[in-house]
Amino acid sequence: MAEQTNITVENLSHTYMPPKGKPVLALDGITLSVKDKEFIALLGPSGCGKSTLLYLMGGFLDIQDGQIRVNETPVTEPSRDRGIVFQHFALFPWKTVIQNIRFGLDKMNLAKSERDERARYYIDLVQLHGFEDSFPSQLSGGMKQRAAIARTLAMDPAILLMDEPFGALDAQTRMFMQAELLAILEKTPKTVVFVTHDVHEAVLLADRVAVMSARPGKINEIADIELGGGPKDVKSPEFAEMVDHLWDGVRKEALAAGQGR
Amino acid sequence: MDGVGKLKAIGRRFIPFASILVFLTVWELFARAGVVIPYLLPALSTVLAHVYADIMGGDLFRQLGLTFYRAMTGFFIGAVIAIPLGIMIGRFRFFRWFFDPVISITNPVPKVAFLPIFMIWFGLGDVSKIASVILLVFYPMVIAAIGGTLSVDKQLIWSARSLGASERDLLRQIILPAALPQIITGMQIAVPLALIVSIVAEFLMGGEGIGGKLLFAQRRINSPGVFASIVEIALAGAILIKSLEYMRRRLLVWHPETKLTTA
Repeated sequence: MAEQTNITVENLSHTYMPPKGKPVLALDGITLSVKDKEFIALLGPSGCGKSTLLYLMGGFLDIQDGQIRVNETPVTEPSRDRGIVFQHFALFPWKTVIQNIRFGLDKMNLAKSERDERARYYIDLVQLHGFEDSFPSQLSGGMKQRAAIARTLAMDPAILLMDEPFGALDAQTRMFMQAELLAILEKTPKTVVFVTHDVHEAVLLADRVAVMSARPGKINEIADIELGGGPKDVKSPEFAEMVDHLWDGVRKEALAAGQGR
Repeated sequence: MDGVGKLKAIGRRFIPFASILVFLTVWELFARAGVVIPYLLPALSTVLAHVYADIMGGDLFRQLGLTFYRAMTGFFIGAVIAIPLGIMIGRFRFFRWFFDPVISITNPVPKVAFLPIFMIWFGLGDVSKIASVILLVFYPMVIAAIGGTLSVDKQLIWSARSLGASERDLLRQIILPAALPQIITGMQIAVPLALIVSIVAEFLMGGEGIGGKLLFAQRRINSPGVFASIVEIALAGAILIKSLEYMRRRLLVWHPETKLTTA
């Protein structure tokens, strides 16, 4: 995977048509570029359209206005190159862990031995060894999310789209999963777009954080998280300062949304 | 476990049947008290003796078999049409636009009213009876399949698409299993209907079958025979419904509902 992977979002707007009532402008003129192997976090208050932006990047929703390009090719539909991880896992409940992971693999043009090996590798990577034949309903939240991450990573997508992937987990599991994600990306670097409303999480994981406004979503600020290189020290004053700074921006937007602007 | 505990455990197993036992006892006592003449309500014991004679006579199974054959053939043909069609209607706007109004308008029509028409079209044999069954069982199954398909979590579909699934893969590997709980519910509604229509068709058209047997007994003022037929239908139908519940648990082992019913 020597090739470069970048995402360009240009002047993207999106309107929702609720079954009743007036159309809702969810995104308003978003322009953003994601560089190769970069980890970018989309941060914003609930309802700011950050998930919509991610779904548009995934090709799950029709693009109405503006453009999204991956390596200069416009996005029109979902693709194996853009893996997705949802907040509520979206595992196939009638399939076991191993069957979930094999779902995409079995549709690839690979020898059976290769598919078996990959499935095994990713089971081990997310530490689900011994749970291959469990159904999702038999797993804890953290295990479900690890299975979902393994299912997506097994496709070896160049781009990883993550929609509040740790939002449904308890604080302890979340911290553990954050560290695991960074470790996995260390081994297999990818271009990542990560939606979250957790400022601490964004600063911890991302290279850059795009702060979005309350609806209609715009990008207010893109912050570079450069904290002196190396692994981030969550106890450093720089880390705390960055969290404070971004939190200010998010809080203002959340308040503005609360006042029904 | 001590003796009392064992007795309690056995007792608990029979709790589900307690209501039936009470009902049957009241029937027997009421009939024996001579409140009504036996022609109106023969005693349970008389009816059971009749059922026993039917079973020993051997003809009962042929009659039941004929009725079940008509009911089940109609049910399976109906399922093969209704379930794929319902999934297509739920999945594709064109199908919904075309079939939704047709189904909405024809559904409230009493389908049994078509029996005489089928008799004219297909004669008095199995074909018209099976056709009546198909027409009736089609509706609960198609409606269940539409509902099941429409309620599939769209993130499951998105996940599958990003994992390289084609539209064909989606229909067979995602939408069908995701909609299966509702589809099986539709089938569970359809099976007793199939049996009922099959019997009503036999009433109208006469001839062999458990419905025909019941009618034959009624014409001969053999009221234990009529009641025996009803008991026989009830027993056979209960076995059928229980085996569907068993099939449901087997097919939906992955579903949270299964834990509740087997634990």
